[in-house]
Amino acid sequence: MAEATASLGPSASGGLYLRTRRWLTHAAIFGTLILAWEIGTRTELLDPLFYPAPSKIITSFWRIYVTQGNIWKHLYVSIGLVLAGFAAGSILGITLGSLVGLNPLVRRFIKPYVIVLEATPRIAVAPLLIAALGFGAQSKIAIIMLVCFFAPFINTLSGVVNVNEEKLELFKSLGASKMQILKKLVLPEAVPVIMAGERLALTAALSGVLVAEFIQRDQGIGALILTYTRNLNMASAFACIFTLTIIGFAIFKGMELMDRYIAFWSHEDGMTRVSQNRNVRWAKQGWAR
Amino acid sequence: MRLLKTLAITAAVTAMGGSALAQTTVNMINPLPRSTVFYPLVVGEALGYFEEEGVTVNLLPSDTSIPYVAFVQNGQADLSMLDQNETLSAVLAGANINTVYEVMQNAPEGIAVLADGGATDMGGLKGTAVGLVSDRDRAFLQAAMAAEGHSINDVETVILGESGPVLARAITNGDVSAIAGSVFDWAGLQAAGIELNLITPEDLLAAPANTFAMDASKIEEKREAMEGFMRAWSKGIHVSTLRPDVVEKMLREAVPEEWEDEAAGKSLLEGVIPMNISSTERYGDVQTQVWTDIQPRMIEAGAISGKVDVNTFLNDTYIEAANDFDRDEVAAEVEAWAAENM
Repeated sequence: MAEATASLGPSASGGLYLRTRRWLTHAAIFGTLILAWEIGTRTELLDPLFYPAPSKIITSFWRIYVTQGNIWKHLYVSIGLVLAGFAAGSILGITLGSLVGLNPLVRRFIKPYVIVLEATPRIAVAPLLIAALGFGAQSKIAIIMLVCFFAPFINTLSGVVNVNEEKLELFKSLGASKMQILKKLVLPEAVPVIMAGERLALTAALSGVLVAEFIQRDQGIGALILTYTRNLNMASAFACIFTLTIIGFAIFKGMELMDRYIAFWSHEDGMTRVSQNRNVRWAKQGWAR
Repeated sequence: MRLLKTLAITAAVTAMGGSALAQTTVNMINPLPRSTVFYPLVVGEALGYFEEEGVTVNLLPSDTSIPYVAFVQNGQADLSMLDQNETLSAVLAGANINTVYEVMQNAPEGIAVLADGGATDMGGLKGTAVGLVSDRDRAFLQAAMAAEGHSINDVETVILGESGPVLARAITNGDVSAIAGSVFDWAGLQAAGIELNLITPEDLLAAPANTFAMDASKIEEKREAMEGFMRAWSKGIHVSTLRPDVVEKMLREAVPEEWEDEAAGKSLLEGVIPMNISSTERYGDVQTQVWTDIQPRMIEAGAISGKVDVNTFLNDTYIEAANDFDRDEVAAEVEAWAAENM
């Protein structure tokens, strides 16, 4: 064990050095861009009417989050809608994708409609959804659901249909039941693909909420951005837009993390983690490996 | 037994109290969330006038691509804020609506050009591109061109949307020679230092805009709530005739996002106060003659397809009640609010 630690030492510190250097490089690039933007605006190379100085955007961040605090209620509303719309879109997409993928008859009849639906611009459908479902959260969630449903659907379909043929033959030749094939082969192959679809869906849900809030402007970040841009208060509009960027990034990273835990077998570090956990468990139970 | 009696009395009192506090929700579809533009709502809410009338206002602010009239007809909205063109077109299309209150009697719409080198009249726009803030503004541009003997076909129109940067870029770059929009659209531009001139033909200025329309078949059914709603709205207008500074303070608290830029907030408020204060003796009164007079030029401009008998849709049934309040009492309440909050 001591030997292993000793041998890991230099490479671990080397990894840390590399990571630090990478972070510093990122920070330097980011800092340079921001500085160039600030200088560009101050020297009016960039029109400050459209591109407010980063220092002004930071002041706006402080104002809308702290001194004025008016963004919070909008933020809660938008995030709530994103999560609800994402959940609805995912459930619909995965369920329909599984049904279509597992049953050729259903596939023949349903798939064309789904593709037609995907080709229809959501923004054109939005007023009809509002007319059908009424004003408020329900129609907004429906719009978001429509925006983010396709990725889980198509990925689930692809994951379920494109099972490795050789493995399938092997399972069949070993006399595996349909349920065994589903549990031991189809799902393990499909879940990583489905998770990739979920990542896309969640980021699409952020766009969906903006579409919904641009049309129904009662509250939410979309409505706030409209107010700010209408008044040419671009610093605060940028603060809202960057808020969405940060949320989008956090969501993407969060989904990546979730993917590593749910579909751990498709990631090397996930497999290592599970193996190590098993070893520890087995060691506790006195099973040698 | 005594316990039962006590419980029964408590329940009865609670029920009575509950019904006394019961509020009727008025769903209103309009283009904006709570805003400086329609300050009577914010003022009425700040002073508790809507609550006093037993009314809770549920705004359904929506993009103008939404067919507002349809939502009044299907019952999702009790009131709809329509402009003159939408009202007349809806009536001509057979919609059973009544215009019951004129929110803005002086059209906030207009045609704006750059102060420096822009056209001086509508004729100067011929052969150029004119930006429309929304599809709603096409009819106004049509009427404005016709008012000076030109046709909308003499210009190219492009919908720019209401985003300030887009409007600013389009007019300063010369992509459009003018913007057909409203005072709300160029308040931000002017506050940002873009100097604009209005070349709107004068005939068009005295025209009702942003009126409240409702389903005609529900006039009686909703009388109590609507009278209360419009009385509270009228009181909100009245406050601005007494203390615009109090209105400003209320708006700063209710819609801080419109006041982050002091100049823009003030410019907007100064622009909208004259629009919101009724020019008729009674607040919100429906003007039969004005609605009659605007129609020939709208027909000529092709904005509407025919003449409408104004008596079929103008209905002043709520106006008396909307104005039935004690002006002195409102003045005292405003002063009390100012003493406490300013």
